[in-house]
Amino acid sequence: MGAERPPFEDLYREFLGRIYAYVRAQVGGAEDAEDITAQVFMNAYQAYPRFEPRHTTPAAWLFRIARNATLDHFRASGRRERLRRTIEHQPVAEVDPASQAEERIQYQALLAEVARLPERQRDVISLRHSGLSFQEVGALMGCSEDAAKMLYHRALRALREAVEREKV
Amino acid sequence: MSEQQDELELEALARKLDDAFLTTRPRPGFEDELWTKVQARRPFGLRLRDALAGLASGIREVPAVPLAGLAALVVVILGIGLVGYVGGQRQGGAATAPAQHFSSTSGEVEQAPGFGRLPSPSLKSSPGGAATTAPVAVGPVMANSEYSGPVQLTWSGQNITLGSASVFRYREPTTTDADQFASSLGAALRGRPKGYLGSYTATDYTLEVRGTVQSSAQSPAYFIYTSPSMPPLDAAGAAPADLASLFLAAHSLSPQWNYTTAIDSSGELTRVVFERQFDAADYGPAYLVDANGQRYGMEVDLQGNHVEHVSGVLPVSQDAAIYKLVSSDVAFREATSSAPPPQSLSTPAPAVQLTKVELAYLLVPAGDHSYYEPVYVFSGSFQVNGTTYTKHLVAPAVDPSQRTP
Repeated sequence: MGAERPPFEDLYREFLGRIYAYVRAQVGGAEDAEDITAQVFMNAYQAYPRFEPRHTTPAAWLFRIARNATLDHFRASGRRERLRRTIEHQPVAEVDPASQAEERIQYQALLAEVARLPERQRDVISLRHSGLSFQEVGALMGCSEDAAKMLYHRALRALREAVEREKV
Repeated sequence: MSEQQDELELEALARKLDDAFLTTRPRPGFEDELWTKVQARRPFGLRLRDALAGLASGIREVPAVPLAGLAALVVVILGIGLVGYVGGQRQGGAATAPAQHFSSTSGEVEQAPGFGRLPSPSLKSSPGGAATTAPVAVGPVMANSEYSGPVQLTWSGQNITLGSASVFRYREPTTTDADQFASSLGAALRGRPKGYLGSYTATDYTLEVRGTVQSSAQSPAYFIYTSPSMPPLDAAGAAPADLASLFLAAHSLSPQWNYTTAIDSSGELTRVVFERQFDAADYGPAYLVDANGQRYGMEVDLQGNHVEHVSGVLPVSQDAAIYKLVSSDVAFREATSSAPPPQSLSTPAPAVQLTKVELAYLLVPAGDHSYYEPVYVFSGSFQVNGTTYTKHLVAPAVDPSQRTP
C-alpha cells in the first residue's frame, strides 16, 4: 500500500511539541529553542515537496532537519559561549510562570543537564526520549541500532553521574 | 551498588526523562504564531495542494455516496484565495510567467487501434454537483484556511466541442527501464529502496526513480538531489528558467514534450516548473493536470545559481488512440447531475459561475498500463466577504460509452 504524504499541517501539529523538547534539550534555553524550532519547520516546509514517506518516517525526517538546525546553531554561535549565556541569563524557572511547580523545575533542570552532556550523548538521549526507535536514532546518528543502544546506555550513566553531582 | 540496583536507578532516570520530554512544550501561543509564519512562507502550489488535501478528506467523510455515482462523478472544485495570494502572503513571491516553448513529442508516439473501454478517472471527487439550470450545493470546498464550505455551480462560458481526441497509454516502467534511464545519465545503481524502482548515484547527485503511484495518480517520476559539491551554474545574469534549462540540457534531461514554464519563488528558493502539454490534435496543446486541476511536469528548484533538486516525469514510451469526446457542457452536466442531494445548510452556499474551460490531460492509473485521458478543466471566480476565490472543476471529456462506469 502506497504511503501518501499527509498535509503538512498534520505533521506540524503532531510534532511541534516533540521537536521543541528535543531542541530545548540540545540548547538549554527556551528562547533559542523557539528560534531553532521555527527554523526547523520553515526548512521542513520548504523541503516538504521532496519528502517521500515511503523512504522514511515523518518523525525521522523531521528530527533529521531538527538535528541539522541545532548543529548549525552551535556552529554559528559557538556552543560553549551559547551554553554559558543560556545558563547565566535564563534561569530555568523564568520562562513560564506556571512552571513554578517543583516537578517542572526539576524537569527543566534535568534537560539543562542533558544539554551539558557531550554532543553525541546529548543527541542520543534527546532523540530517544523524543520518541524515536533505536533504529531511527542510529540512522540519524550514522551508526547501527546496536551502537545506538550502547551509546544511549553510556549517555544515561553519564547523565546520572552529572545529576548526582548537581543534585538535580 | 548491585547491578540490579544500578539498573533500577537507570530505569528511574529514563522514566524521569520521558516525563521531562513529554511535559516540555513551547509557551502558549507559540504554536499558532509559528504556524502563521509558516503559512506566510508557503509557496502557492503547496497551499493549493494542502487545501485540496483538506477538501479530499472532507469528501471522504461524506457518508452514503453510491460508489457508482462517485466513479461517474469526477468533480474537483478548488478554491484559491486570490486576495491572500496577491495581497502579500506570498512573501518574496514572484509572478507566474508563462512562456511558450515547444519540443518534439513525436518519435515515441505511434497510433494504435483503440484500447477498448477506458478506465474512468477515480479522482477525489466531490459528492455534490451543480446544474446550469438548477444549482445545487456541492462541497466542501477548501479555498485556503480562510474559507471552506459548499458552493452552487453554474456553467455559462464558451463551450468546447471536439469530436475526438487522442488518449495516450504507457506500460508501467520496470526496474530495467529505470536502470537504463539512470545509465543514460551516467548514474550507477545503489539499491532499490521500498517504493522505488532504483536509487542511483552520479558524481555530484543522487537519483531516485519511481513508477506510477496508483493510489494518488502520480506519473512515473525521477528525483535528483544534488550534492553540495555540485558546482553552481556558470551563467551570470541568466533568468531562473534559463538556468534550469541549462542544467537539464547539460544532464540530458531536457523535456521531450511541449511545455510552458512557470516560476514560483519563495524566500531564496526559486522553482521553475515545466508544465507538460499533450498534442490534442484539433484543440492544440493541452496541459497535463493532476486530480486537482493543477498543471505539472518537471520541477527544478534553484537556490541562486545552484540546482537543489529536480523532479521530473520519467520518460516512457507511449502509444495513442483516438476516442470520442463529449462537449464541455455535456461533461459539466454529467459531472454535476449525479450528485447526492445537497445537505441542508444554515446559510446559503455561494453561487459560483464557471466561465472558462480548457481541455487538459489527466493520468488514470490502471495497473500494468496507465492512460493520459482528456478532461475539461472549468474555472470561475466568486467573492465571499470581500475575498475573491477561483474555483476549478475537472470533468472527463471521453464519451461515457467509451469508459468503464
